[in-house]
Amino acid sequence: MVFRVQKEDVDIGALIEAAKRPGTGAVVLFDGIVRDDDITEMELEAYAEVAVAEMEKIATAAMEQFRLLHVDIIHRIGRLAVGENILIIVVSAGHRPDAYAGSRYIIEEIKKSVPVWKKELTKDGGRWVPGEHGHGSAIL
Amino acid sequence: MKVTLRFFARFRELLGTDIIVEPHDGTRLADLVAEVAQKNTDGYAAIFDEQGAFREFVILMRNKKRVETAEAGTITVTDGDEIAVFPPVAGG
Repeated sequence: MVFRVQKEDVDIGALIEAAKRPGTGAVVLFDGIVRDDDITEMELEAYAEVAVAEMEKIATAAMEQFRLLHVDIIHRIGRLAVGENILIIVVSAGHRPDAYAGSRYIIEEIKKSVPVWKKELTKDGGRWVPGEHGHGSAIL
Repeated sequence: MKVTLRFFARFRELLGTDIIVEPHDGTRLADLVAEVAQKNTDGYAAIFDEQGAFREFVILMRNKKRVETAEAGTITVTDGDEIAVFPPVAGG
């Protein structure tokens, strides 16, 4: 299983192959992408050590709760262009309901607690994307 | 003693990051963050309100563990501490 914060893009095909563990009946891929919201680029930064530890914690909880067989989470940082991958989550499970539910759980938990920030760069400067979860969230 | 302050996102833009300070024994976490933040008016105002209290959304960590901002006035920093100060997360 892979939990990383990195600048480089990811070989999604290789991750899907690696996720096919014995007993796998479904693999679900989530690929978060830089959307064209009238921006030129997006800049991402992370508190990397804490982010990776938190991803592992979320994956462990998801594996228990949804009987997942395998989880990869890779969050990219640095400057990304419209259309580039931001966040890849690969999960495998015996059956599709668990794979879908586990994938959904992981992305929602990442948004609550993994210390990553995004700045949308525009022709006029930039704006930080506000966090959805303020003080008092389930963070860490 | 040496303590490292790490600011992230908007706070980093205003104040820098990986700032090494040498506070005296008994320095409170909240006082240390305030002292460093005071070097930039906008940076200070982003983190502290008009009464000098942490803004409600600010997240603090000490050695990668969450610290409630309400308790930061009673916690003393120690040699080698890493203090992180950041706004709500917005990844994914």
